[in-house]
Amino acid sequence: MSLNHKSNLKQIILKMLLYFVVFFICVFILYPYFSMFVTALKSRDEIFNPNGTILPINALWSNFTDIWTLAPMGRYMLNSLLIAGGSTIIAMVCGIPAAYALARMKFKGHTVFLGFIIVSQMFAPVVLLVGIYRVLSDLHLSDSIMGLVFINAAFNQAFTIWLLRGTFLSISEEMEQAAKIDGCNRIQSMFKVLLPMAAPGIVTTLIFIFINAWNEYTVALCLISTDVFKPITVGVNIFNGYNMIQWQYLFAASLFATLPVVFLFMSIEKNLTSGLTAGGVKG
Amino acid sequence: MKKRTLRKTEPYMWIAPSIVLMAIFIVIPIFSVFRTAFSEVSKSGLIKGFNGVDNFVKVLSNPDFALVLKNTLVWTIFVVVLSTVLGFILALLLNNNFRGRKIARAIVVFPWATTLVVQASIWTFIINTDFGTLNTLLRTLGIIEQNINWTPTPEAWFAWEIACGIFVTIPFVCFTALSGLQGIDSSYYEAATVDGANYWQKLFHITIPLVKPSLTVATVLNIIYVFNSFPIIWTMTKGAPAHKTDTLVTYLYTLAFYNGKRGEAAAVSVIGFLILLACASVYMVSTLKKGDE
Repeated sequence: MSLNHKSNLKQIILKMLLYFVVFFICVFILYPYFSMFVTALKSRDEIFNPNGTILPINALWSNFTDIWTLAPMGRYMLNSLLIAGGSTIIAMVCGIPAAYALARMKFKGHTVFLGFIIVSQMFAPVVLLVGIYRVLSDLHLSDSIMGLVFINAAFNQAFTIWLLRGTFLSISEEMEQAAKIDGCNRIQSMFKVLLPMAAPGIVTTLIFIFINAWNEYTVALCLISTDVFKPITVGVNIFNGYNMIQWQYLFAASLFATLPVVFLFMSIEKNLTSGLTAGGVKG
Repeated sequence: MKKRTLRKTEPYMWIAPSIVLMAIFIVIPIFSVFRTAFSEVSKSGLIKGFNGVDNFVKVLSNPDFALVLKNTLVWTIFVVVLSTVLGFILALLLNNNFRGRKIARAIVVFPWATTLVVQASIWTFIINTDFGTLNTLLRTLGIIEQNINWTPTPEAWFAWEIACGIFVTIPFVCFTALSGLQGIDSSYYEAATVDGANYWQKLFHITIPLVKPSLTVATVLNIIYVFNSFPIIWTMTKGAPAHKTDTLVTYLYTLAFYNGKRGEAAAVSVIGFLILLACASVYMVSTLKKGDE
């Protein structure tokens, strides 16, 4: 009886400790976002006051609306949407058939292609910038949204194929074979049977690529010089001048750039991580 | 006969769009970088012809390069190792059953989903000496009276950049470890409890060996990403002062687009790729060996 009591007490203490530690970590993770938010509400004078307060004394909600007139924020957001949306479409249109072939067909070069996909991961766009710049200039795509669409689509192919192939492999081939007996050809059985069953995996992949392309910074920074073509990640730097950084506007704009994708990401987190590791284990 | 050739070529038609996309926008740039690395390049980027290993000699004979290489290794090792350890510990915590676990998981997503340039600018602001929110917080809590200079030296800046890198890398490790943890059959733990194993014995003999495959995938990907990571350092210090916070990627960006030395920048790219390739082959050889056993 007393032993039971003792272990119960130990359990309770451990649980409280767990709550305390997790709570502290969550506060720590959210702290930058909290800082961003309260700073976005302050006036210039309040920000640069060396004896400032944590919360704004006078909350300037107008900072959140001012940025839309001070900078072409709407245009930046639209550009990001076009770049992320466009590259997601191209990455899926090219990636779905490739993943399908890798999951369902045997052919010479199967392993070479998979190997190439892994090796291509080693070349981050930043390392290839000199080459990318040259290729896009030759295609008359430098300093254009279309150029960024293709670059993002290409550099996300590896993930697209990796995740989709894992999804397709996890679905039994039997149903497709049954559809074939019923007279469907390969493409029909793929559209009518496989893709609907793979829908959760496809949506996860789609959102992941969208977020990757939305958050891309390096290539856009280097290739886009015309202001109206800039995505939001590069565009927010308009408030980041050399001598005078307008922190309140920078962070108000940054929140608009960040929060939509954070909530989008939460919706796929669980499927994404199991997909990433599953693809790896199945190799 | 016709049908047979069709069946043979069919798979290639399915992978063709993907191949074309990657060929134009990844493979051609790779060749272009290699070609540039072995060519004399004018300031405006015009290739003037083969010049052997001149660019490599120039890069390697520059005393800055050794420093940049050392920074890159310090950056990669510290960020990858510490984020793996901390991410795994966080995953162990979140793998417990407690109320609010879903909320905690959602909060951990934040740093992963945030674009790095925003993450880097907010940290730059937090640690600012004169008006940063860290000093404001500590003053309000009564822990300090005078504002502290958090970045007195370039080394301090570099340490903060590493901290920021760890902060944004933890969620990826945490979630991959979590998905591995959740795949472990609870009967292992029950059997170990019957045998009288304590928490640490279970951790080292059941949990870690079984999570290892997921963690290995995460670590290999992280080595590549962290090694090639550009936005954090670029936003916080741009590699300054005197290359003390430069890594290979920020160094090559400055060379190519600020100093007009595309040939040398391409040579740095090639060197970086060779280093990663060496790391990757060590990994592949070791996994192949395991497969043979």
